[in-house]
This record gives sequence, structure tokens and C-alpha cells, in this order.
Amino acid sequence: MADPILKIEGLEVAVDDTPILKGVDLEIPQGEVHALMGPNGSGKSTLAYALAGHPRYEITGGSVFFDGKDLAEMEADERAQAGLFLAMQYPVEVPGVSVMNFLRSAVNATRGEEMPVREFAKLFKEKSALLQFDPSFADRYLNEGFSGGEKKRHEILQMALLEPKFAILDETDSGLDVDALRIVSEGVNAQRGPDLGVLIITHYTRILNYIQPDVVHVMFEGRIAQTGGPELAQHLEDKGYVEFGSHEPAAAPR
Amino acid sequence: MADAPAWAVEARSAATAALDALPVLTGTEEEWRFTPPADLGMNGDGAEGGTASGTIDLPAAAGRAARLAFIDGAPAPAEIAELPDGVIVSELGEALATHEDLVRDKLYSLAGFDDRPGAINAAGWDAGTFVYVPRGVQVELPVEAILTATGAAGRVYGRTLVIVEEGAKATVIDRYLSPDLDGAVHASTVVEMFVADGGELEHVSVIGWGRGVRHQATIRGAAGKDARVRSVNVTLGGDVVRVEPTMYCRGTGSDARALGLYFATGSQHFEHRVVSRHEAPQAYSNLLYKGAIQDTAHTVFFGNLVVPPGAPGTDAYQTNRNLILNEGARADTIPFLEIETAEVKCSHAGAVGRVDDEHLFYLMSRGVPELEAKHQIVYGFFQEVLDQISFEELRDELSAAARAKVR
Repeated sequence: MADPILKIEGLEVAVDDTPILKGVDLEIPQGEVHALMGPNGSGKSTLAYALAGHPRYEITGGSVFFDGKDLAEMEADERAQAGLFLAMQYPVEVPGVSVMNFLRSAVNATRGEEMPVREFAKLFKEKSALLQFDPSFADRYLNEGFSGGEKKRHEILQMALLEPKFAILDETDSGLDVDALRIVSEGVNAQRGPDLGVLIITHYTRILNYIQPDVVHVMFEGRIAQTGGPELAQHLEDKGYVEFGSHEPAAAPR
Repeated sequence: MADAPAWAVEARSAATAALDALPVLTGTEEEWRFTPPADLGMNGDGAEGGTASGTIDLPAAAGRAARLAFIDGAPAPAEIAELPDGVIVSELGEALATHEDLVRDKLYSLAGFDDRPGAINAAGWDAGTFVYVPRGVQVELPVEAILTATGAAGRVYGRTLVIVEEGAKATVIDRYLSPDLDGAVHASTVVEMFVADGGELEHVSVIGWGRGVRHQATIRGAAGKDARVRSVNVTLGGDVVRVEPTMYCRGTGSDARALGLYFATGSQHFEHRVVSRHEAPQAYSNLLYKGAIQDTAHTVFFGNLVVPPGAPGTDAYQTNRNLILNEGARADTIPFLEIETAEVKCSHAGAVGRVDDEHLFYLMSRGVPELEAKHQIVYGFFQEVLDQISFEELRDELSAAARAKVR
């Protein structure tokens, strides 16, 4: 069997000197979709940021190999260039940076070559249609004046444009209404295949009804506490995180 | 060159006399406490000069209605493309005689010689730019004047006089260029702009000196009734640069803006002193300056909205924002107000902040390398000002300049 696209062993991560991840073990074979669930504060988003290379998230122990490369040795841009993508829970607004310029430079940087403007325009149009992302937003500034749903669609649009080997979706379902969740999920499903691994980070099971996971992990207090098949998500939907010592439900509030 | 008329000769003598009579600037004066006057040669302590250390290629005159150039302050042949009837673009020294009727009552009336910077320029300038746009005429393409320094002259002078008559419209660019120089060169420039009722002028000053140049620049613009005047100043080059734009709202309903961008790197020191004066009711002014500071550079912004009695309905804004790119870079911002009229709307804000790590991370997490990400963030920071500028070429120019400087 080929090496997994993502191999995490005993990973410890601290934020501002506070240990958050306390020995995470996780392997994801290429082409599989895994869900990472867990109550608030269990360390799910910390794992996402640490994998993407946010400078505030310091790897203090263990190892992470992505596509055979040691992530700890790589800056955030190098990780993205190697094919890692993080769809963020709260995409920041960057004043004055136009969406079009940003997307073009991201596509050029991850491909390692300048894509001709016309070819990029065609690609942008095609992928925007897929995600029902208003193409006129290209002239806006990065995430400025975007609604919550538009921000999330913009994240998945970037994933579609950059064609990563592995994508982490950090609470992509939060703040989405059912229609937006369906569109975003279809966008992810359209990219699903043997050359894309996915880690869906979510508190609630809702998004897993749209994107079927192959494997479900539960994180609690900075470690993977349980791993199972899709039925584990259903179990959490019914019982919440009570067996992990948390009274938070896993079914989305209605 | 035509002999200067008697009034101009007299003005020159008066300026020279003023320079002798005005007290020496020590740097302890309130308005000089951030930039040592000696660094700008304010007391006649001139730079040595005499060592031309390079030449600079003039940019092409394409896309300009007219282009004047002054090498070390001396006029080079002008390139005049096509000007509408009645529009004058000429060397200012010539215009003293040839357009005496237009020049005489305006020259020195906004920027005279009652202070040392003014007196130095009035006593010393020998060539400059005169632009006149008659009533109702629009000049579509910009008129550009370029002043260069090669190091051959220890002090270079520039002087620009722009008159836009009722309902007329123009764009005028003053560009300051030099190669990196071995020695120090002082530059003294003055821009006077008069926009009559309903007229519109955008003046763009681009300070793009190389190393070695120390520049004091005075920019003054007066707007008549319902007139619009914009002073755009971009400071990128020079060792020590002090720019002093003052906008005068002289007519009811006038709209005067001073927009500025700067990017100080290395050990550059830039000071911008930006003022609007409301001398008529119901006028609008906006002072908006944004700058990036890197390495051990230092910038100072002093802004003032002056609303004397008798200017009700004033609508005035003042904003200065600074983006610090690394530890060791420094920006001071001093927004000020002098309001003596009731029923006015005025606001002022000054801020100094660092590059937001979250912005940098977001861009880098998409594969954009750190340098390119910083460039995009700096250029994005400038965008709010660029959005208010009609002269679109400035965008690409500034993007390229930011790319060359950011590190």
C-alpha cells in the first residue's frame, strides 16, 4: 500500500506556549475523506492551523509528513505549493487586495508557472459557476463585504482553482444555510477522487450528510479519542459527546 | 530667454533680502522639530555638488499633452503634443515676460517668501513650469514636468504655476527624478495652483529621487466657488524629504483634497505637513495620507484642518494611516484641528499599525510567497487612496515601486 498522503504521529502543538495538542496520531490514505469531530476546545482547529503552518501554532513534539515531506520544515506558502489546502473557518478580510489579483497569484504560485490571463479567466468563470460564486466579486477586495456564505463559497472556489492534493475543511458548514451548504458540498464532492484527500473538521454531523466520509475520528482534549466508520457520526448525532465527558450535542441545533 | 520684467527682478531681490533677514532655523522651532532644517539646507548651508554621478533617462512623453523637462533645473527642449486653443504650457521663466498679464498677480501669491523655504525658492529658481487652461477648456491628457538632479549642481530648484480658469479642467504632473548620487543635493520646489469657479485640477507630484537628494517641497492649491482641486503626492525617493501641501477652500462649495502615499525604506526620513484652510462656507476638504515604513526609516505626518470664523457648513476630514513593516521602522502622526466656526463637520484620525499576521498567513496559505504577499498587502493598503485618484497610471507605477522596495 502506498504511503498515506498525511501521516501524523504523536503531534504536540502549543499556542502562545499553551499546549493544545497532546499527541495526535492520524493517518489518511490518499483519495479518502475523513471527518474529524469533537466538542469545542478539543483541538480540531488547532490541528488545522498547525498543518497549514500558521506561525502562532508551534509544533513542540511528534511529526507530520505530508506526501512524504516533513511539514515542520516548511513555511505556509511552501506547504500550499506542495498541495496542501486549508479552507478556513473565518477567512480574513484583506483591505485593498483584489480577489482577482489574489486568486491569480495563488494559482501561479501553486502551479509554479504563470498561467496566461485568458486561460485563468476561463478557469475562474468555470469554477465560479460550479460554486455559484458571483464572478463580479473578482473586482472586490478580499472577503470584504462578503456574507458568511459567500466567504465559505470563496474558500471552496479557491480549493477548486488550486487543485490541492489534500484539503482541510475547517468548520466549513458553520454559518451556512441549507442551500449554501448544499452548493459548497457539491463543490467539494465534484473534486473528490483518487488524487484528493480530505479532512473535514466539524462539530456537527450536518455536513456529513452531504459529504460522506470514509472514516470518522473523534478528537478530545488534544488527542484522537476514537476512530470508526460513518456509523460513528450517526452515533454522535444521536448521543452527542457525552461519552467523552462533554455535554455538547453533535446534532446541529434546529 | 527674454529678459525678466522689472517686477520679477524686484521680487527676486525682495526674496533675497528676505532670506538675509529671516532668522536662521535651529530645529527648535515647533514646526521644525521632526526634521533638522540643516538636513534640508534651510540656512544656505548648501550641498557641495559639482560631482555629476550619473544621468537618468527621461521617461517617454507618450500619453502626455505636453512634457517639459529640467536637467538640474535647466530647461531641456519641451515636447508639446497637441493642446486645445488657448492652453499655454511654457517655461515659467519665459512666461514672466511673455504671459506677464496671467503670471504677475498669481506668482508668489500662494507661496511667497515670508519663510525660509519660500525665500530660498523665490530667490533661487531659474526655470519652471507654467500651465494655463482658459475658461471652459478641458485638457484630456496630463501635462507633465520632470525635474532631474545629476549631482552637477549642489542645489536644484523647481517652480510650477498652474492656472485653471472657470469650468476648465486639467491634470498636471510634477515628477522629481535622479540616479543614486554620491554626494548630497538639495532640492527646493514650489507648486502654486489656482482653480477658478467650477474648474477642476488634479496635480500629481511624484518624488522619485535616488540616494543623496534632500528635498523641501511646498504645494499650495486654491479652489474657487464649486471648484475641485486635488493634490496627490507620492513620496518614494530621496534621503530626507519634507513635503508641505496646503489646500485653500476659497469659494463656497469648493472641494479640495490632499491625497498622499509614501513608502520609506532604508534610512529614509519623510515628513509630510498637510493642511486645509476653509476660507469660505459650505466647502469640503479631505486630507488622506497613507504610508508604509520599512527597515530603519522614519516618517512624520502633521495634519491640520483650519476653519477660521465665517466658514459654516464646512465638511472636513483628515486621516493618516501608517503600516509598519518591521521592528525598527518608525512613524509619528500628529493630526490637528483649529476650528473657530460653529456648525462644522470635522474629523481627524491618525494611526500606526503593523502588518496583520493573519493577512500574511491567509495569503501565504494559498501558496503566495512571503515577499509577494507583503507586496500585495502594502499595495492593498495604498488602494484606498489610489481609488480617489483619476490619474490611473499611478497604480501600476506604485505597484512596481512597492515591489522594488518591499523586502
